[in-house]
Amino acid sequence: MTSFRKKICLLGDYSVGKTSLIRRFVHNRFDDKYISTIGVNVSRKTVSVSPAGNVVEVTMMIWDMAGGEEFSQMQGSYLRGADGAILVCDLTRAHTLEQLETHAHNFLRINPASKLVIVANKKDLVNQVLLTGDQLDTLAVAFDTRYFRTSAKTGDEVESAFRFLAQLLV
Amino acid sequence: MKNKEVVSDTSTTPDEDQTELIEQRPVDSQSESTLELLRAIILGEDRQQIADMETELEQLEQRVTDPDKLIAIITPVMSQAIRRTIRDSREAMIEALYPIVGTLVMRAVAEAIRDLARTVDAQMRTSFDFSTLWRRFQARLGGVKASELTLRDALPFHVSELFLIHREKGLLLLHLSSSPDMTPDSDLISSMLTAIRDFVQDSFGQGKTGQLNEIQYGEQSILLETASHVYLAAVVDGVTPTGFRTAMRERVIEISHAYEDTLRNYDGEVKALQNTAPSLQSLIENHYSKQHSNQVQKRVLVGVMGLLICGILGCVLGGWGWQRLASPPTPVVVVVTATSTATPSPTPQPTATPTFTPSLTPTPTSTATPTATPTMSPTATPIMVVAGTMVGSAWVHVAPGDDTERLTVALERDLSVEVLGAFQDWYRVRWSPQSGAEVVGWVPARWVETVDPIPPELVTPDPN
Repeated sequence: MTSFRKKICLLGDYSVGKTSLIRRFVHNRFDDKYISTIGVNVSRKTVSVSPAGNVVEVTMMIWDMAGGEEFSQMQGSYLRGADGAILVCDLTRAHTLEQLETHAHNFLRINPASKLVIVANKKDLVNQVLLTGDQLDTLAVAFDTRYFRTSAKTGDEVESAFRFLAQLLV
Repeated sequence: MKNKEVVSDTSTTPDEDQTELIEQRPVDSQSESTLELLRAIILGEDRQQIADMETELEQLEQRVTDPDKLIAIITPVMSQAIRRTIRDSREAMIEALYPIVGTLVMRAVAEAIRDLARTVDAQMRTSFDFSTLWRRFQARLGGVKASELTLRDALPFHVSELFLIHREKGLLLLHLSSSPDMTPDSDLISSMLTAIRDFVQDSFGQGKTGQLNEIQYGEQSILLETASHVYLAAVVDGVTPTGFRTAMRERVIEISHAYEDTLRNYDGEVKALQNTAPSLQSLIENHYSKQHSNQVQKRVLVGVMGLLICGILGCVLGGWGWQRLASPPTPVVVVVTATSTATPSPTPQPTATPTFTPSLTPTPTSTATPTATPTMSPTATPIMVVAGTMVGSAWVHVAPGDDTERLTVALERDLSVEVLGAFQDWYRVRWSPQSGAEVVGWVPARWVETVDPIPPELVTPDPN
């Protein structure tokens, strides 16, 4: 079986649930304190995908970036060399979707050939959801990808989003 | 029961009062037992406590008087007390203990170092192999003692982990470990190391081309060497030997060049750089420093041998060439045509000696032409000569003495010459290679063997 390692970045505003998504998807990880120390934390998850009938093992090295302003200067270095990114927004905060476009442009400027997936998190907060499917769809089309409505709390669609990205990368 | 017995005993006395008493006794004994019962009810608990206390006291006495039991009791308490004192008054404890512990430690460490130095020194003095000589040479160059250098080399060094990491992506390309059973999570370490490198570069290296070279924690260090597409991280213990970093750099540059295409467009394939393992394996071996120094020694040995051979060859060829130039097959001669209008002089004076000026320098042909004429002043006395043979090749000088000007003419062994004069250990000789030509000059007497002894007339007190 062919094995690949891929660098994945999680991008999105503060408190959209990036770290929670990783916690849900990944079990082995460094302590979260690294994010507050150097602005990034790395986790790993290996998944098997079969893009063209062949089973391929993809080890995703997931770089969880700090969402705050204080690390925005660092992000350029951390994004370098990434094969793909998961753009995370919060379904209950509309402006987090607007910011995704900026994140995506920054990321693609550094890694033009990389792949993107959009994740709209916190779908469990049903009564507070502000973002519509159309809004998400528009952004997904703009970046030639698809979006997932996830809940890090319940785990709904989390794995699907990561697997979809892994599939895109091989 | 006891009281009753007393009663029966006293009942035998004949005294009246006593009799009365006896009469009253049954009543008293009843009240006594009642009292006793009362006492038991009221004081029973106290009595029991007193009995228990007595037992405890006995046990305590036993513990205190038995040293082993006493130690067993005191030790935990003391330990606890000391621990608490150290925690609460660390400085005070250090000050209190330093005079004892500090001296003790210093003495022990000094003694251990002296022992080690003695051992190393003894080994250095008794061994004469090439490595020792090389070490002495290195030590002399470095201005330290050879034993100190040996000590330095003896310091422990161990490479426990080696990570070859893609510089941009932070993805692990290859991981080698000295103890595969205790392999850390190399994937995560690679990425986090890359993140730390990036963090340091962004935080402190703005506008600078430098790289993070080393991360230290306790006794261990992570040494980093970077090439264009990859970097190598070595987790090491101890003092890094000379040349290790250079070796790391060489390896990582080699790999970066050899796999440039793969690395530039690295797709993350795990086994893409597996073939680099043997190249990096040598770095992780425990005896790296020894191997490396042996390699250096070998190189130096080869170099020295090469120099020696070159030197010998140079000497041989130089000597041969010089011989060729200085004395060609037919010796270069200064031929003095026999225009000898010279009249023999009975006592040849130095003024009669033909003087050869530097313009006499012969051309390397056998048909050298005379360019000077002797300035000898002729006399009427016939020249007295002694026949001789050269027993060794010798340069011809214009005057006796090694420091005098040489004619660039060598008289070879077995040549027949005529001795014209003598001064100290030198003979003035004449050699006639062909008719009408001759060489006249001074040679050391030891190279000329004469048939007859040199007559006193030929011996001149002053060569000039």
